[in-house]
Amino acid sequence: MPRSSYFELFGVTEETLGRLVAEGLSRGGDYSDLYFENTSYLTLLLRDGQVSSGGRHVDFGVGIRVLKGDKTGYAYSETTSFRDMLSAARAASAIADGQAGPVLSYGAPLPPASPDRYPILSEDAEGLTDFMGRIEKGIFAREQRTVKVMVSLTLEKSDILMYNSLHETACDTRPMATVAVTAIFAQGDKIENTTFSRSRRMGTEMFSEELVAEMIEGAVKGIDERFEARRPKGGKMSVVMGAGASGILLHEAMGHAFEADFARKGQSIFTGKIGRQVCPSGITIVDDGTIPFDRGSLNFDDEGVPGQRTVMVEDGVLRSFLHDRVSARHFGVAPTGNGRRESFRYMPIPRMRSTYMESGSADPASLIAEVRQGIYVDNFSNGQVKIGEGDFTFYVKSGFLIENGRLTSPIKDINIIGNGPAALADIRGVGNDLLIDGSAWTCGKEQSAPVSCGIPTVLIGSLTVGGE
Amino acid sequence: MITPEEILLVENALSFALSNGADSARLTLNKSLLDLVAMRDGELDRVTHSLDRSLQLALFAGGRFGTFSINRLDREALEDFVLKALGTLKLLAPDPMRSLPEPGRTAKDAVTGLEAGLYDPVYEGMTPEKRLEIAARSALRSRRTALEKGFTIVSEEEEYSDSIFDTLVIDSLGTRCRHTETSFEIAADITVQDPSGARYNAVWWDASPRLEDVDFDGCAEKAVGKAAEAIGPLPCGGGRMAVVVDTECASKLVTPILNALGGFALQQKNSFLASTLGRKVLGDNVTILDRPRSAGRPGSRFFDSEGVATAETPVIEGGVVKEYFLSTWTAKKLAMDPTVEDCTRPCIAPTGGCGTLEEILADVGEGILITGFNGGNSNSSTGEYSFGIEGFLFKDGRRVQPVREMVMTGDFLTLWNNLTHAGSDARPCSTRQIPTLAFKNVEISG
Repeated sequence: MPRSSYFELFGVTEETLGRLVAEGLSRGGDYSDLYFENTSYLTLLLRDGQVSSGGRHVDFGVGIRVLKGDKTGYAYSETTSFRDMLSAARAASAIADGQAGPVLSYGAPLPPASPDRYPILSEDAEGLTDFMGRIEKGIFAREQRTVKVMVSLTLEKSDILMYNSLHETACDTRPMATVAVTAIFAQGDKIENTTFSRSRRMGTEMFSEELVAEMIEGAVKGIDERFEARRPKGGKMSVVMGAGASGILLHEAMGHAFEADFARKGQSIFTGKIGRQVCPSGITIVDDGTIPFDRGSLNFDDEGVPGQRTVMVEDGVLRSFLHDRVSARHFGVAPTGNGRRESFRYMPIPRMRSTYMESGSADPASLIAEVRQGIYVDNFSNGQVKIGEGDFTFYVKSGFLIENGRLTSPIKDINIIGNGPAALADIRGVGNDLLIDGSAWTCGKEQSAPVSCGIPTVLIGSLTVGGE
Repeated sequence: MITPEEILLVENALSFALSNGADSARLTLNKSLLDLVAMRDGELDRVTHSLDRSLQLALFAGGRFGTFSINRLDREALEDFVLKALGTLKLLAPDPMRSLPEPGRTAKDAVTGLEAGLYDPVYEGMTPEKRLEIAARSALRSRRTALEKGFTIVSEEEEYSDSIFDTLVIDSLGTRCRHTETSFEIAADITVQDPSGARYNAVWWDASPRLEDVDFDGCAEKAVGKAAEAIGPLPCGGGRMAVVVDTECASKLVTPILNALGGFALQQKNSFLASTLGRKVLGDNVTILDRPRSAGRPGSRFFDSEGVATAETPVIEGGVVKEYFLSTWTAKKLAMDPTVEDCTRPCIAPTGGCGTLEEILADVGEGILITGFNGGNSNSSTGEYSFGIEGFLFKDGRRVQPVREMVMTGDFLTLWNNLTHAGSDARPCSTRQIPTLAFKNVEISG
């Protein structure tokens, strides 16, 4: 969409924007920015064999931020009438209490923007209900034990216009297509469920026949094992994390501690450790906003900073935190394009994008073969971390016992628990099979943000496993 | 807070939908205003001002049903949106089970929004200066205690916020309900560090619909105390033992029970409490009530999102399932009588003869006191759970040492058949009245 169309959509001019940031700075703020958003999305839900519920939603407004040092004033308006925006700018200006002064830069000069990482090829909603129906029918046909299938589909598009007191303007149109399935299976009096999703920054071109097959396979995969699975005996043991979705553990247990707001406040366990060895050499951890069509990718972050690839840990050494403009100014570095927000209602904070560990050199099978007694896990449902302590807990939907170097009995519904930095330091081997998972991961740090995650097969020496 | 002009806008939108193809409709206008002042390390850190309006539309046309929302509330944008919404309905398959609730079921006693007694007129007098004064007052007065006890405070944050929330529900069968409430809240988030560099975080908060009921003073000190008492955790092994769950986090063990009684889980055959209505499945001493009409108490509400009148009712009584939460749609799908769509204000009846945490610890004697859950999940189909826990090992009714990196596993039916105590110490500020709980014979790993 041409730049002028964004101004037209929000009914503003550059002159209007200049007056608003000037109002924001009128009490002595150092920096001010505006974030206009028009998000619309379509939802469809297949239940009991029919797409009989759905809806359409619109969220429109502008957020106005004023910075004074590390302090933030924030307000928003759900209309873009000048009167309402001016009122919000005045509310945000209250973070400062003085006279207007010079405007500060909040970060080093920005790199150039890249070509659009997620151009929309199709917005045609025709055929979406058939697509969902084919997934449902395919699951029933594939697995006789199926008793219920629910398929949800969301098609979202956000038009974003950003402007700041340095007179920088950035425009972005962000699509997101998501399909998710929940299937319930019965075997005798036992009930089990599976969930599977795929989400990308694409238009309706995502909903292909290949995706139908992938969704069916994802929904029924491992159901035999789930009916057989039991909880293992708990205790401390080696854990092999399978490639792909296990990356959520990297996101939660380590990634949050790399977010610079926690470091700025002294809350992160990695505070003051830039340049120091934080895990064994050979391990490199990246947060990447540049992968085409990836759920976590961004042309610009929500402060107008071009999307980038940020190496946090290189060969075991902590190289960079993930910065928004506030933390970049605090630490005297360039922002890394991690300033993100759920919507115009929220101020941006450092957030991950697509976070992954780069491949190592080990054959994945050799990592399993090294373990005498432990578990292999590859399907997590959720996790939680305490940033200050680094303690994490993850719920494992499915996996296997490892006995004498071989995968044996299936396991399910357990927690693994540990400490992020300790687990990082206890990595014994990294496979050569990095896989970025395409599920609809959503990070919930104060606000929701779409992310992706990935990891190669990794062996951790010892974690606590909660079992019988 | 919702203005007469906004009410008129909603009424006009309802008429517009009905005259452009909708057979029936329900419109819900939500409006809220929140002001927040945050302090960090004793200094002002953030101020935010958040005014939200959103109109939700449930539209029924030609046997089809959809839900829609928009926050652009000028008449032109709204009418354009209604037409697009009606067009979207054509994508959907008809669903004969969809309908508005019968008018006889909807609330008739929530007219002004003030009936639930949750509005404090003091809110209208709040100013930026007063908010800043309260936030500043809640900050730590001194860090001397920390230094004397050999730990340091590495991060101190306090947030004060006040808000007003107003909702109006109208439908084409004449339902008209309104609910207005104010909220005043203080929270402190403290991270401390021991001499080895290990960090411990704790939060304390208080809230009320009425300003005068909030205990602002000492909030940060309480958070420091909680963080400090967690210093130096040691492993304590595992096995089957008694657990006492502090009222601050006990809701975690109640929510899965309530979710399993919800129509959505039941209809999708994804509930471990399917086919249990009227049956005894939990211990004799388990009684959970829904008390949504305790006017003036946080969490009270006279109607659900369909406008259906809530009622004071037993959910579980003596271990017997007394209530499923069934919306108009889920009830029809399950061929049952509709109730309300959710448990509004759950309250657990005391059992075991002890009121407070300390009394329960003394009575139980030995086990794990859980003061926080760290992650974990449960299987909604089977009721199996696995939660990360932290807290204290206690013996002879007294805390012996902090513990963390432990896991509690089991299934909810077994757990709630092993309830030994429910206190009477639920915090008045909580919308869910879940007191300290104690269970016997719980599997712990660590």
